[in-house]
Amino acid sequence: MTALMNALLANPAVVLTVGAFVLLALPRHLASIWMLLVTALSAIKLYTLGIGEYGALNVFGETLTTVRVDPLARIFAVVFHIAIALNIIYAWGQRDRTQNFATLAYPAACLGGVLSGDLITLFFWWEMAAITSVFLVWAPGTRVTYLSGMRYLSIQILSGVLLLAGIVLIFRETGSLSFDFVGLRDESTGAIKLGALVMFLAFGIKSAFPLLHNWVQDSYSKSTITGAIILSIFTTKLAVYSLARAFPGTNELIYIGAVMTLFPIFFALIENDLRKVLCYSINNQVGFMVVAIGFGTINGAAGYAFGNIIFEGLLFMALGAAMFRTGTSKATELGGLYRTMPITMGLCIVGAMSISAFPGTLGFVTKGLIINAAGEAHNLWIWLVLLFASAGVLEHAGIKIPFFTFFAHDSGKRPKEAPPQMLIAMGIAAVLCIGIGVYPDPLYALMPDQAAIADYHPYSAYHMVEQLQLLLWAVLAFAVLVLIKWYPAEVPSTNLDTDWFWRVPGRSLLGWITGASRATWNALWGIFSGRIQAIMERIYVVHGPEGQMSRSWPIGFMALWTAVLLALVLVLSFLA
Amino acid sequence: MSDNHSSKPGWADNPTFIRVFIGVLVVSCVLAALAGLVPAFQNPKPHFEQENWKIFFAIYGFVAFAFIVLAGQHLRKLVGRKEDYYEERE
Repeated sequence: MTALMNALLANPAVVLTVGAFVLLALPRHLASIWMLLVTALSAIKLYTLGIGEYGALNVFGETLTTVRVDPLARIFAVVFHIAIALNIIYAWGQRDRTQNFATLAYPAACLGGVLSGDLITLFFWWEMAAITSVFLVWAPGTRVTYLSGMRYLSIQILSGVLLLAGIVLIFRETGSLSFDFVGLRDESTGAIKLGALVMFLAFGIKSAFPLLHNWVQDSYSKSTITGAIILSIFTTKLAVYSLARAFPGTNELIYIGAVMTLFPIFFALIENDLRKVLCYSINNQVGFMVVAIGFGTINGAAGYAFGNIIFEGLLFMALGAAMFRTGTSKATELGGLYRTMPITMGLCIVGAMSISAFPGTLGFVTKGLIINAAGEAHNLWIWLVLLFASAGVLEHAGIKIPFFTFFAHDSGKRPKEAPPQMLIAMGIAAVLCIGIGVYPDPLYALMPDQAAIADYHPYSAYHMVEQLQLLLWAVLAFAVLVLIKWYPAEVPSTNLDTDWFWRVPGRSLLGWITGASRATWNALWGIFSGRIQAIMERIYVVHGPEGQMSRSWPIGFMALWTAVLLALVLVLSFLA
Repeated sequence: MSDNHSSKPGWADNPTFIRVFIGVLVVSCVLAALAGLVPAFQNPKPHFEQENWKIFFAIYGFVAFAFIVLAGQHLRKLVGRKEDYYEERE
């Protein structure tokens, strides 16, 4: 019991989780201040722990390391705390208990996953993340969000089940439960290991690998304004962390990640709902991180995850502010908001420039690590793909989001500027985007591989010139296409993606299976109940009121039979 | 939530602003391309031959962006449906 208490007390994620449960009983007007206080306590706990392993726990003869703080876990844990604090400030005054609970409990679960030193602890937090986050999808309380939440939960739980299966198989193969390098292939034979493959798939679902990606668009875009921001940050980054921990240098990840950077660009181009555009942007951005893990550039993956959480979060917040004031995130219904929301517009442009990796921004000092890794590996095609995808990021996240929200056609809407708490949160994120972009040393000091980062200098003249050429000429292409009216207008529509398979034919198939099962059951029950009925009728004939066995018997007849039976017993006793 | 009413064009719709914006953009693009010709601004240890092509990144950025927009919009014909497509089916 003492060991369990020590393990719980050592864990910053437990601090956040307990804080989340306390929220359920706390007066609503104290919720925001309490959440910020609990986040600060968790951050202090993380800081005081320092690098090391804590919370050892013996379960069924196995030692679990419930808390491990090493440089890779630390950089994710630090940015998670920054993100939680920004979310709380952005949603300051929010009184919805369910959302407030999830605002702490869901990031806590992802933080717990990042700090896990063993696979059992990881599995626990992995499932907690799935369960606590679905409340954010359900938060709007409509039938559409209920169905979306159920789909989301099914997929997340599937990921958890696969993770558990992978853990069992790996434990059988290696006898170890430690959460460290797993590797997809056997080092001696090169064959794919089954346990590793199953775990790889579990991480792949949460990372939103190609064809497994659409739960992001399906669920995140239907959440509340604040819910979507929180959701956009944690699950995919926990998965990126897990891939970086267990599968660094896995060649397959380079190509999976490259596809992830490419296909969302085209879906984002034609998408009218700007929150869905940002969801495709998540797929694209995680793709860059996955490529980095494939190359074994953990600094690239961790650094870009850190940056992405800040600048992608800033874009979600700016769009959320516009949505808060106008009630819509559709490009066809927005536009022209720069007139009355100039500060939000300016902050949005900072996020857009940062995600596009303009020099002087957080994106520039982190994305370069990944593209440089493709160069170091002399992989020309991947290098070209990453540059192409960078132009794509500029198109959908760098230009489309601010352009269609604040400029483009005049929607006629003249909303008030965003509320102060939203401006403060966005302002802090923007300061981080530019501050770390100009002076990246504090971020680089957090990088997991200090030897590698020591040799990296983002502000070399050639790197800046190359990046400026790429981005400025891409912006020029945008200007030309707009001027000659070749840039496509937004159209109100729903674009089919992989979720179509389970929402339309899958649903029909499920309906058919349900109908067939019902019919089969009815038929079998008909046969069975017919037989039972026939037997019952026979029994009734014999034992019923009119049956032979229900007749009244004379006393003499009974006495005769009793005498016969007693005689029979006497004879048998004599013979025995 | 919002106040809807018409008003005079804002600064971003002003033709002078648009002209200045385009002008600054074009000058910036030319300067970035010219910088690629300066030896001091070239990668001393290029990984690929393309990095030596002075204005490779400029051309690649322009072509990639134009391709994404011009080719990508045709995807709508394949996957685009009515806005209430799923609502009708669920």
